[in-house]
Amino acid sequence: MGFFITTVIFLLAGFVGIGLFRVLYNKGPETNLLHYTWVITATICCWLTWAIVYMAQMHPLVVPILKAEGE
Amino acid sequence: MLPQGLPSGSSAGIRLRSRDPSRGTSPAWQDSGSDSDPEPVIRPSAAGRGRRQKLAEWVKKRREAIMAHGGPKGPLPHVPKTMEMFRSEEMQLVQLIIPAEAAHETVSYLGDIGLLQFKDLNADKSAFQRTYANQVKRCAEMARKLRFFKDQIQKADLRISTGGTTEKELDLDELEGKLTELETELLEINSNSEKLRRSQSELVELKLVLEKAGSFFTQARDGAAVQQRELEDSVVASESMDSPLLLEQEMQTDPSKVVRLGFVTGLVPKAKSITFERVLFRATRGNMFLRLAPVETPVIDPQTGEKVEKCVFVVFFAGERARTKILKICEAFGANRYPFPEDPAKQRQMMAEVTARLSELETTIEAGDRHRDNVLTSTAYQIETWTALVRRKKAIYHTLNMLSIDVTRKCLVAEGWCPVFAKPKIQDALQRAAVDSSSTVSTIFQPINTHEMPPTFYQTNKFTSCFQEIVEAYGVARYQEANPAPFTVISFPFLFAIMFGDWGHGILMLLASLYLVGNEKKWMGKKLGDIMEMAFGGRYCILLMSIFSIYTGLIYNEFFSVNFPIFSKGAYTCRTPDCSDETTAGLVKTGATYPFGVDPAWHGSRTELPFLNSLKMKMSILLGVTQMFTGIFLSYFNAKYFDLPLNIWFEFIPQVVFLGSLFGYLSLLIIIKWISGSTADLYHVMIYMFLSPGTVEAENQLFWGQAFVQVILLLAAFIAVPMMLLPKPLALRRQHLASLQHGAYGVLGGSDAEEHGHGEDGEHAHGDHDEFDFSEILVHQMIHTIEFVLGAVSNTASYLRLWALSLAHAELSAVFYERVLLFAVGTGNPVAIVIGFIVFMFATLGVLMVMETLSAFLHALRLHWVEFMNKFYMGDGYKFIPFNFSHLEEDE
Repeated sequence: MGFFITTVIFLLAGFVGIGLFRVLYNKGPETNLLHYTWVITATICCWLTWAIVYMAQMHPLVVPILKAEGE
Repeated sequence: MLPQGLPSGSSAGIRLRSRDPSRGTSPAWQDSGSDSDPEPVIRPSAAGRGRRQKLAEWVKKRREAIMAHGGPKGPLPHVPKTMEMFRSEEMQLVQLIIPAEAAHETVSYLGDIGLLQFKDLNADKSAFQRTYANQVKRCAEMARKLRFFKDQIQKADLRISTGGTTEKELDLDELEGKLTELETELLEINSNSEKLRRSQSELVELKLVLEKAGSFFTQARDGAAVQQRELEDSVVASESMDSPLLLEQEMQTDPSKVVRLGFVTGLVPKAKSITFERVLFRATRGNMFLRLAPVETPVIDPQTGEKVEKCVFVVFFAGERARTKILKICEAFGANRYPFPEDPAKQRQMMAEVTARLSELETTIEAGDRHRDNVLTSTAYQIETWTALVRRKKAIYHTLNMLSIDVTRKCLVAEGWCPVFAKPKIQDALQRAAVDSSSTVSTIFQPINTHEMPPTFYQTNKFTSCFQEIVEAYGVARYQEANPAPFTVISFPFLFAIMFGDWGHGILMLLASLYLVGNEKKWMGKKLGDIMEMAFGGRYCILLMSIFSIYTGLIYNEFFSVNFPIFSKGAYTCRTPDCSDETTAGLVKTGATYPFGVDPAWHGSRTELPFLNSLKMKMSILLGVTQMFTGIFLSYFNAKYFDLPLNIWFEFIPQVVFLGSLFGYLSLLIIIKWISGSTADLYHVMIYMFLSPGTVEAENQLFWGQAFVQVILLLAAFIAVPMMLLPKPLALRRQHLASLQHGAYGVLGGSDAEEHGHGEDGEHAHGDHDEFDFSEILVHQMIHTIEFVLGAVSNTASYLRLWALSLAHAELSAVFYERVLLFAVGTGNPVAIVIGFIVFMFATLGVLMVMETLSAFLHALRLHWVEFMNKFYMGDGYKFIPFNFSHLEEDE
């Protein structure tokens, strides 16, 4: 799974979150906006951490060197 | 949330027209309420003179309107929308003119709604000078009596039953009479029973003395009798020897010469008995004889009513002086003396008397107790209702004391803040109060214009309140400024989780938070103790913290430091088929990048720490820059909302440019380096961007035209600093001078409502005709600029705490897992394994789950308060504290 596919998955998850709030917990436009803010912030935060860790491993400058027995 | 159709007043129901609900988004509070209200808007300055006349006019007009309207029908008009935490609710200063006869009901109904904060209009009067001081005093007195009853009920081990509201609601006078009656009754019963108990314990002590001392005397007498007999025998024997012993004979024959020994009996506390004996011995120079007999069970002391271990004593002495000395010593030692007849017959008689009186007393005391219990039980049914009633009444009178009374004493004038959305509700309550108190005129409700800053009010629920509290622990928001809390709801637990990334620990925490949330109904509103109360108050925060911790734990691939290749086998394999150089040259990346989180191949490798260091450090910077930009953009929304274009052009934009060209660029470089796999040294790039602009070494070249871009960014950053510093104070000065030139209008017109509120910063919200100190503004702007420029560096560095704490957490859990658990398992000894597991468990719970949680919490708190909120948050407002009956119980 590449970078863009997972990004799209995060995006979809965000939309699903918004949709769930909209359908299951509809509290009027102002309150919904608050809930959407939460979903969007959470999605961005989660995506950001994932993306950072993913990108850091794309072209590693160091490689894992295993420890010898008994080390 | 707001009811669409409120219950309308029944027969004489009159409804005021709701005021301007459409004015939901007026930008500044200064000019709210200035549009066409049907009622005369009474300004504070004009309030005194024309008020009554206008009032009468208005009442007449309104009556006509009601006649035409045909009474209350249909739903209430459109309910104004709320701000939902993004900003504090729009507030309105209102004036209520309440007819005196309806005042009490009105305040009571408003307390039920709890959406109006009364202003103290009698701030210059002391508590005793106020109108209802007497009633407040009476209520306080009644509250004292109720506390006394509660105390008595608890002492008697009776249960206070709640909700025993069988009787009709009492009014204050009735209740007062009843309480006084009850109190006197209880006090009398108490004093009687105390008297009885004292004489009872005295009798008990006397009885003990009779028993114990009696036994001394009989023993002594028996002993004496034996001696006597021996003596007589010897006398008889010696008579025959015809040599009478003169001394003996004299003693027997002349009783007047015998020194009469006196004695004192009583009880002394056991703890004091040794010193008592010593003091007696010294005082009489050894010329006394003391017998002590400990009483087996503790006896009740008649003076104090406490149970004390005691000894019965008998002191024999000779002479009157010794007697007075001994009596004084007894007094000093708290020894109770009791009479003791020498004659055994008298003793018996006294004993019988005492026993008879004791049993008599017991029945009397029992009867008294029963009576008292009856009184208290009947009180226990009512006490909760009464307490609530008294509390309410006291709050009502306290509030009434804040109102100013009209000269005619026909009506009371109240001023207070209420949220705009609550106006229809309040008006409805006013109507009901007027109807219920059968007042001929109903209360007049009107908005007032003011320059005062309104209080800050957010409508929070059980989920959002703890996040709002986190924000308000730093400072209550200025009225209607952007609230960080909607973002804090997510970003706070998220930053916590960055430092606490372990899905094992996250699951433990999730269980704890679910336990708290599950017991919500049971624990709500109960006293739980300091630490538990804090955890319970923040239960939803802890819940989110744990969920994010599980997420970041999956990203970091940490589960109590155990490796779990969940998402794929990993991207790394050996270089050669026999894996000979895996410990020297290392593995090589052959497959696709690990799809989610840190590759399990890193776990336990020698290069794990260098890799995670670099990753987490860069991650901290990226997250920090993102959050700081969010803060700066919120300052844009503030400037936009309060219509302060100067703040947009000369604060927001230069700030974005400055931060963007330094740390925004650094973030970009980090990402480019990762994507391209370049070996460029980013420290080097950043340092030489300043030291030798326009040149980039070949090995540090990350993209084409890098040198040029860096020069541009450096220039932009340098230009941004004076842009932040100078234009805004200069522009303010120009505006001030311009307003001075046609300032004459304002003075002559005397109308302060039309004054322009904009063009000034929030710090100078009280109008530019007050005074304008250019140097002060300039200094302020200078401080602000320096703070931002230095803060850009230090705040970014401050986010590195994310790196340090998350690394510390991972290393600590690795130490506990490898050095404790694996070491114990390695020994193979079952005892060692059990001990090792217990140590591991306690280390995990104590160090990681408690201490690390607290430290990560504190650091997340700091990052929000300092690094995030200082970009936009003023935090110099004050909280809206409405008059609300449901808050009353928390005060006590």
